[in-house]
Amino acid sequence: MTVIVECEHVVKRYGDVIAVNDVSLSIEEGEVFGLVGPNGAGKTTLIEMIESLRIPDNGSIGVLGLNPVKEADELREKIGVQLQTTSIQPNIKVKEGIKLFAGLYRQPLANPEELLKTLSLEDKADSRFRKLSGGQKQRVAIALALVNDPAVLFFDELTTGLDPRARKNTWELVKDIKRQGKTIFLTTHYMEEAEELCDRVAVIDFGKIIALDTPENLIRDLGAESKVLFRVEGGDEAAAEFEGLAAVSRVEKIQDEVILYTTDGSATLQELVRFADKQGLRLGDIRTEFPDLDDVFLTLTGRELRE
Amino acid sequence: MRGLWPLAWSEFRLNLRDPMMVFWSLAFPALWLVFNAVIFSEPIPGSGYEGLNHASFLLPGGISLVILCASFIGVPITLTNYREKAVLKRLRVTPVKTATLALSFSISNVVFTVVGILVLLIIGRIFFDIQVLGSWVAFIGVIFLGMVTFLAIGSAIGSIAPSFRAANIIIWTIFTPMIMLSELFLPIAILPAWIQPIARAFPLTPINTILRDIVYGVPLDDLWRLGVLAGWIVIAGIITVRFFRWE
Repeated sequence: MTVIVECEHVVKRYGDVIAVNDVSLSIEEGEVFGLVGPNGAGKTTLIEMIESLRIPDNGSIGVLGLNPVKEADELREKIGVQLQTTSIQPNIKVKEGIKLFAGLYRQPLANPEELLKTLSLEDKADSRFRKLSGGQKQRVAIALALVNDPAVLFFDELTTGLDPRARKNTWELVKDIKRQGKTIFLTTHYMEEAEELCDRVAVIDFGKIIALDTPENLIRDLGAESKVLFRVEGGDEAAAEFEGLAAVSRVEKIQDEVILYTTDGSATLQELVRFADKQGLRLGDIRTEFPDLDDVFLTLTGRELRE
Repeated sequence: MRGLWPLAWSEFRLNLRDPMMVFWSLAFPALWLVFNAVIFSEPIPGSGYEGLNHASFLLPGGISLVILCASFIGVPITLTNYREKAVLKRLRVTPVKTATLALSFSISNVVFTVVGILVLLIIGRIFFDIQVLGSWVAFIGVIFLGMVTFLAIGSAIGSIAPSFRAANIIIWTIFTPMIMLSELFLPIAILPAWIQPIARAFPLTPINTILRDIVYGVPLDDLWRLGVLAGWIVIAGIITVRFFRWE
């Protein structure tokens, strides 16, 4: 695989504060890589160093084989960027903005206005940027990041501040871009976003990467248990009856809700259904709770991600 | 220089779309000329300027107002606004060169100023029979020098002002004494003697003095005063280069 982004021992200080502390990572072609962490963890500082907007104090960065400090002009030709504070000239019309930005690149898309269609902005083509909704502004930001048909895109908190529907729409757009074979580096403080979009995730806290793996592996390595929760309708079964089910480590009963703690939620669920059939039990309100990346962060740092 | 003309054209169009820019740079100077020319038909006594109607006397002041509104006010307002809204940062992460960006903004600003001056000249010519007795070439040359000076000063203010609001305060603090002291409509000759040297140090003063000399066809033995502009351009240029920030 081709390495698209490579960071080695990258350090950035602001006065006494170490914003990025000895970060090393590498991102491969076609990958969606997520940098996850709370506000102030150093996500933006790191991504902006990679984008050539900030100069690292130490360490080296390579993007598409280019050095963001020494070869910034060439790098900027080839990357697509959405900044955390997304803005273009407030009174520019969407169509004009896309055309203007396309004109700044050596090799823009042959037909940048097609991006309006791709990003469902056709009916906003003649609207001024400042009049758009948050979701529409982010779609314009994505369009601008795509005008030069870049091999790699950088999204900094793409969905922060969007309502849930706009966020889901934006996720679909990111997936579309990935399907075109482009590499994506994104930052987020939403763990569910990282789980949904990213092939690999780096968890960053106080400028340091404290974990880096696929979301599945990060969760699995926690060794955290899943829960299967249900009620037995019209019955009053003792909790102990369910202890023998596959992978169950212990059982709790709170009022009439039974909670099975399990190391393999799927296996337990499957056997529970079979068991209930055999015993003639009617189960209600069945739900499962699997550990997620939020639990990963909590376990690694002892803090909630969004405190 | 890729992107130069698209950026310049885009900025020019955005200026036309901005009611504040349109009012202050295109309408206000013309209104000022019309009001003053209607109220006073004769030049202020003791000004040392005689032989033409008051509208002709006011013309250099009107041109100065266009330059002030478009460049001295418009440039720092746009610059700090674009910085606060991260527009500059977004442009910086494209391959556009800093020099291209600066030049394109300058071109759009100069063209916008020229439009404002044309509005003024057309209205003055049609309704008030404005005349320029001296050389039009010199007249245009001095105007151009004035535009460059205030483009530089506007960039310097936009660079040192920490915010949009701070830029406003700096602008209006300088603006008020400047229009009083820079021969915009009050001849320096009628100001108290002690303040005259200070008035002459203002960057706007030599522009008005010399433009008025050209309007009245007075021999231009005062051209050395344009050296004041060169000084201001150098100072403003140094401040801009030293203090300009993208974000």
